[in-house]
Amino acid sequence: MYTRKTLRGTRVTRQEILGKKPLHVLEKIRENLEKLNEKMEIMIELQKHGRKDVQPFPEAPLDVMTLLSMPDHLRKTAMTVCRLGRATAEEAAQQTHRARAVESSYLNQLVIMGHLKKERKGRKAYFYVDKEDQR
Amino acid sequence: MKLDGIIAVHSYKGGTGKTLLSVNLAATLVKQGKKICLLDLDFRAPSLATIFKTEKAEYWLNDYLNGTCEIDKVLIDLSERIRNGGKLFVGFANPATEAIREMSAKDRKWEMRALGRLLALRNSLLNENGFDYLIFDTSPGLQYSSINAIVSADVVIVATTFDRSDVEGTKRMLRELYDLFEKKTEIVVNKVLNEVSLKSGKSEVQTKMKEIYQVPVLAMIPCFCDVSRAEGAFIFAQEKPDHPFTKILDEMAKNLKNI
Repeated sequence: MYTRKTLRGTRVTRQEILGKKPLHVLEKIRENLEKLNEKMEIMIELQKHGRKDVQPFPEAPLDVMTLLSMPDHLRKTAMTVCRLGRATAEEAAQQTHRARAVESSYLNQLVIMGHLKKERKGRKAYFYVDKEDQR
Repeated sequence: MKLDGIIAVHSYKGGTGKTLLSVNLAATLVKQGKKICLLDLDFRAPSLATIFKTEKAEYWLNDYLNGTCEIDKVLIDLSERIRNGGKLFVGFANPATEAIREMSAKDRKWEMRALGRLLALRNSLLNENGFDYLIFDTSPGLQYSSINAIVSADVVIVATTFDRSDVEGTKRMLRELYDLFEKKTEIVVNKVLNEVSLKSGKSEVQTKMKEIYQVPVLAMIPCFCDVSRAEGAFIFAQEKPDHPFTKILDEMAKNLKNI
């Protein structure tokens, strides 16, 4: 039987590709591309800062003085997450009126900088200020 | 549609009239039938407990920010202090020296949690408890507690005077603080000398102030000896409804709705 291996290593049958669940397959491809994109953003960011040897998620509280010292574009994103409590790139983009992909990149940068945490639930990635710190 | 409802009253220097403004603005809005929550976020020099003659409280705002109680335990219903009005709830900062010392020694992580708890008030008080406005009375200058209040607010009212160092400091703060957080900011010039406020030069000065600060001027309050003489012993806008100070506050409250 003809099967094809996806980026996640799961096998997809010809039937699935050609007819039965084309939408589902496309969604899977998109999901995997998004994951790849995120990983690449992290790698680019780590390279930019020359911190290949350092843990990518150091703890860095997101207090107002930190917010003040951030570049404008990241402050806007960080404040949006502070206000919403928990947000996807899509939700953040609705607030900042910037493109979802742009917002996704900024959110991931904030995760790398240790200011935000990220959690996946199904296809969605949620960004939030550490619950421990919000208590 | 519900208006933006969190107002932080802030200033660069102390003694510009933040507390006087906060208390009287709250009283004015209550007189107009609104449900108001006034919070003393000046943990370094708490004063609302004295003004409202509430020296003892079971819970203080300090406890809420420490995460040891919820906000409903802190708020005290003082609606009976304002006749024929809406509702007034006040949250006090603990004026005990020990509490002030403790609050000034908090670390960055604590301040971050405090910001989270202040941000949560939007949902718990405005959305769930139907308050029309929350008014934050803050510490002057660039301190953690003040900046937390500014970040959580929708509108910042900056009280300033003609004092040169105050003017320069306020200008800097507008550029380097409020602008960075993209806050709607309004200036209230307090203690305006009578020769300016009583003559036709008033609108000229108002225009000049707008040029200096590059933000709208919400009000210009003359230097009223009656207000100073009251020594903060009573709520002026409540006790003296026909005084020019009260009239300015009425106008200010009206203009706030249009911000």
